[in-house]
Amino acid sequence: MDGKMEISLDKLPIKRLDAIEENGAERFPTDVGYDDKRVSLIRRIDFAWAVEKDTKKQKKASKEEATPWPWQSLVENLRLAHQELSVIIDLISTVEANDAVTVASMTRPKPLPNEVLSDLGVSAATKLQCFRHLSKYFKQSAKALEQQIAREARFYGALIRLQQNWKVKRQRVAASAPGNEGFSIDLFSNSLHDPVAVFRPSSLSTVRVDHDSAGMLAVHLPPNSCRALHFGFLGGHLGNIPKEPSKTKTHGPDELPSKEIKKPLSDNECVKETHSVLREGHQAIFDEQVFDLVNREAFNSSSGVNVTGIRENYLQLNIGQGASVFMSLVPSGQDDKTADGMGMQNLESAILPMDTFDGVKLSDGKHDNDKKKSGFPNRISSEIYLKQLFHEHVFVRAKDKHISAGRTQPSSQPAKDGFGLLGHFCMSLAHRIFSSKVLMELENLVSRVPYLHLLSHPTWHSRTSSWTLLMKVPESSFHPGCQTRTSDIHNVKNIIKTHFRTKVVINDDCINVEGDGAPNVVGLFKGSSEDVCSMNRYDCDLADIPVILLQQVASQVIRWLHEEALKVGIKANRDFLCLSFEMDQGEMLSLVAHVNPDDPQGCISWWLVMDDGFSEDLKFHTDAPDGGSEYRKFLGHLSLEVLYSTLMDLVSLCNGGGRH
Amino acid sequence: MNKGGGAGGGPTAAAAAAAAQKQKTLLQRVETDIANVVDHFTFLVNVARVNDPPVRNSQEAFMMEMRAARMVQAADSLLKLVSELKQTAIFSGFASLNDHVDQREAEFNQQAEKTDHLLARIGEEAAASLKELESHYYSSAQRTSDPPQP
Repeated sequence: MDGKMEISLDKLPIKRLDAIEENGAERFPTDVGYDDKRVSLIRRIDFAWAVEKDTKKQKKASKEEATPWPWQSLVENLRLAHQELSVIIDLISTVEANDAVTVASMTRPKPLPNEVLSDLGVSAATKLQCFRHLSKYFKQSAKALEQQIAREARFYGALIRLQQNWKVKRQRVAASAPGNEGFSIDLFSNSLHDPVAVFRPSSLSTVRVDHDSAGMLAVHLPPNSCRALHFGFLGGHLGNIPKEPSKTKTHGPDELPSKEIKKPLSDNECVKETHSVLREGHQAIFDEQVFDLVNREAFNSSSGVNVTGIRENYLQLNIGQGASVFMSLVPSGQDDKTADGMGMQNLESAILPMDTFDGVKLSDGKHDNDKKKSGFPNRISSEIYLKQLFHEHVFVRAKDKHISAGRTQPSSQPAKDGFGLLGHFCMSLAHRIFSSKVLMELENLVSRVPYLHLLSHPTWHSRTSSWTLLMKVPESSFHPGCQTRTSDIHNVKNIIKTHFRTKVVINDDCINVEGDGAPNVVGLFKGSSEDVCSMNRYDCDLADIPVILLQQVASQVIRWLHEEALKVGIKANRDFLCLSFEMDQGEMLSLVAHVNPDDPQGCISWWLVMDDGFSEDLKFHTDAPDGGSEYRKFLGHLSLEVLYSTLMDLVSLCNGGGRH
Repeated sequence: MNKGGGAGGGPTAAAAAAAAQKQKTLLQRVETDIANVVDHFTFLVNVARVNDPPVRNSQEAFMMEMRAARMVQAADSLLKLVSELKQTAIFSGFASLNDHVDQREAEFNQQAEKTDHLLARIGEEAAASLKELESHYYSSAQRTSDPPQP
């Protein structure tokens, strides 16, 4: 009891008048008996506080038992219901029994026929009503069950179809929402990957299968969770991020609800859409994994890759040749927004299928600036190549583990040269850039020398390129009946030679020039001209290529002229770029080739030089540009036919005795 | 049921026994449910007779409602059984799944090979076209007759 004590005062125990009637009789309250007085006094004591305490204790005690089992109240209700039902049943049986009871001396009153019939009628009507009620209930239930069957059939049918292509998993947890059986689709395939390399599981890897409003299954990817790998070249206009053409743009997951509102899709369409959504997630996971691998390789010191920048989901690499590339993970929906006007302007260069065609189209010189800059490979094809490299790497590894089926690809295995995939990729790109520069040089050269042809040789190797400079010499007026010369195989070859080739091969960024016809230093010391017809090989730089090639070509021309002269029986001396004839008086008449790669009118020009043995001093001094000295005459840029006729003229000038 | 097919395939005897047991249980459930439905419906039909003492009719009315509810509940339980079977089919239909996966794999491999061949062919055609175009260009009159252009 708390400190409060309540006090109540009783009325004085005197008789008070209750009421007076009209006739004057007085009424007094009735006397309360002694027992009653005691009871009423006891009642007046307020035991509420004690009762409350007890109930509180009871509640505390019972609470611990009641809370664990929420079904307790249900059980209690059922028990009570059962109890009451049994009471009712007893009552009914009692009533029935009583109904059948016959009192000994009395007979029941026989009901009149119409009473019987009306009773029957009422009962029949009631029963009929009951049956009608039941029938309505059955119909409703049947409809509901049919709907449920239809829904389930659609759901499970679609799920089974999805299961043909995707991994469906089930979590046996208590379903929080009705109809949610805990299905999910696992997009993350661990089996394909190197168990050593632990890939961070993406948030996309498990997709829950839900029911949509129509009961059909629906999958939803979290919005903006799909990220795509994006690759690009750096450099103002080249950093364009055009629309995302490397993927067929499917509808993003946030567009799905609007589709549902539009019209109810057929089951087929629904399944197809679900497939697309799942495929998007799958691709996003693949892109993330590729990015992960790229990052790992980039920071592996032996990979030969130069990282120049890193941000979240962004990696920048320097691939050499003055180019930088970047790779990033961007949310799939955002690519459209970042395309700006510059992207459109460069779309032309982006659409060009092969970078090697750039030089051919841009020969008018107007796009000379673009020419240099658009020598970069196509961004999209580079991106695809990157993905394909890593896919093969992962795929081949996995396949080799599981099955021993050899799926050797024609492309080189990059791991062999120790650079790793990323290194190989960067070197491929660098090679493409470099080879486009070389090609430009070659085309410039060839455009200014009319008798040179440029032939391309596709190598189908990402780090090797090759071209041939072909020079076709005109058929000599002497039919090669001169095959009756000595049976030296070397000479036979020389006689029927009408093509001179110079091969240019690029491996990564090493240029190798191989050509026939030019005498090398060793051969010169050997003396005879037949020994000098060997293949020459050079390695050179980009800057030296024009000069070297021109020298090679010029020496091939000289060689040809030399052979023609020999054919007509004139003894001529051949130097590197000079063909000399001995004249009657001991003078030397020389046809000298001059190569100048920067000459706009032609790269190979010809001089006629007269050397009478006395004017040696003058030769070094008279370097007149117009070639007007008496000892040297500038002939110009001559075609091969003109050169041949010039040769014949020289031959006839020398002496007439040498001809057959 | 797939389990019948799978039992003979390769699982251990214990797994086969468990599968058989489960099959029996399911069949039993089916039979129980259908028996329920039939019984209750029979009762409903039998109770159509109108009795004299009206109390019997009311009693029967209550019984009818109860039996109707039981029938619907049995039907619902059958439906759930069907759902369960479908779920089991999804997760246990290994034979058909494997077949399908193999078939798809073969299809995709074939497609990949075809694509490779196609790419190779495209490459070859491109190379051939390039060669032809180059030879045409370099031996064309335009090039041979024009002076070297800057």
